[in-house]
Amino acid sequence: MGRLFVAAVLLFVAGCAGGEGAVPGGSKIDALLAKAPVYAGQVTPGSAVDRIKKRGELIIGGSQDAPLLSQLDPISGELTGFDAYLGKLLAQYIVGKPSTELLSATSETREPLLANGTVDVIIQTYTITPQRAERVAFAGPYYQSGQSIAVRKGTSGIGKPADLAGRTVIVGANTPGVKAVQDAAPTAKILEFGSDPECLTALKQGRGEAYVQDQAILVADASKDSELQLVGEPFTEDPYGIGIKHGDAEFTKFVNDWLREIGKSGLWQEVWKQTIGTVVTGDAPAPPAIAS
Amino acid sequence: MSLVLEGFLNTVALTLLSFAGALLVGLLVAVLRVVPVPLLRGVGAVYVEVWRNIPLLAWLVLFVFGLPEVGVKMPLFWTAFTAIALYEAAFVAEALRSGVNSVASGQGEAARALGLSFRQSLRHVILPQASKRVVQPLANIAIALTMATALAGVVGVVDMTRAAQRINLELAQPLLVFTGVGLCYLVMAAGIGFGARVLERRLA
Repeated sequence: MGRLFVAAVLLFVAGCAGGEGAVPGGSKIDALLAKAPVYAGQVTPGSAVDRIKKRGELIIGGSQDAPLLSQLDPISGELTGFDAYLGKLLAQYIVGKPSTELLSATSETREPLLANGTVDVIIQTYTITPQRAERVAFAGPYYQSGQSIAVRKGTSGIGKPADLAGRTVIVGANTPGVKAVQDAAPTAKILEFGSDPECLTALKQGRGEAYVQDQAILVADASKDSELQLVGEPFTEDPYGIGIKHGDAEFTKFVNDWLREIGKSGLWQEVWKQTIGTVVTGDAPAPPAIAS
Repeated sequence: MSLVLEGFLNTVALTLLSFAGALLVGLLVAVLRVVPVPLLRGVGAVYVEVWRNIPLLAWLVLFVFGLPEVGVKMPLFWTAFTAIALYEAAFVAEALRSGVNSVASGQGEAARALGLSFRQSLRHVILPQASKRVVQPLANIAIALTMATALAGVVGVVDMTRAAQRINLELAQPLLVFTGVGLCYLVMAAGIGFGARVLERRLA
């Protein structure tokens, strides 16, 4: 029993230590905010923008546990990451100050949260799919991601997505990885765990032969863990969109205009460098083309 | 569709097996808690306090990620089964013990006066009277256990809730999907309640 507890405590500590290293400090947002635009145009009374302005706060549905994207820094209490910073910048654009409230959303609650008006936007690695576009409006895409494969160092026989066929593959629960594996290798057995550290531990303990996850997260993991090895390039294209209440074309266009503006001014690239760019080498990619 | 079936069957199997395991271990612990040997009573008490005072989710995470670290690796389904059965056994033991305690002390004294041993008096005098009174508390535990199996989805078992989440990821219709899943749990729980009423009438 004692050894079991020690193992569990070590696991927990390892998970915590890992998460901290990946997250840039909270003060980075200040530098970004200094360059952030503020909307100065007309506001239609009763519109979403009007509501948010009057409230003085943007209510975002998102995560607190996604490294590099939207993670709560336990020391500063700041939300850091690509999605989190975009949320702050959007609030700055609408309200004039970066006041946001984050409501923890999950894949089960995102659509209802938007439909009943509990949140203004969802910024949560929300992949734009035709099925979802029937229930919510998407601004963007604001980020083009892709799923990659990681294995334990020394694993042979896995070189491309099709090699996953018939194998046990670990994926993050409720991530786009689930569908990516189903499409690439329908005979693969999918094993889901709630968080990235759990998935990593499961991979290392041999619960599965490969781990499929967003490439940025895997790169961050591999930079801290020499046992982990990435296989090839991303094999999917996941366009992340900002979820908006279905049918609100005016607000969707408003957010799209803002995305275009920060893409053009280079602010988007700055955000990328401060977050995902801290683990992915090379220059910031070009922001994805806004759909409409 | 096969995913729905797999999830449903896993939930049913996990519920039935875990409850059977919990009954077995719980009976053993309940006996430990009522025997006239202080050391054994202490062992029973420690079991109950340790197991029921730590959340099931913590036990599941400890079992799934902790046990392999000390060299014990079971398939995920059986790991979840073990954790749920041992956890619920603590509640079963307490339900059984209160059933035994509800039998008037005069009954036990009379059994001893007749020269019955501890085992004989438990088997022929105490348990027959206690069994009817523990049916409803046990049914409560069985229903709670049914709902608790959803936690196994967090540690990789494809149960009904996990299957629903996977389906919803594609359909983006959470209200519809989870209402359906909720109805499945309702039917299972209602079945347990019905079974308990039948059993109670039989034992009366």
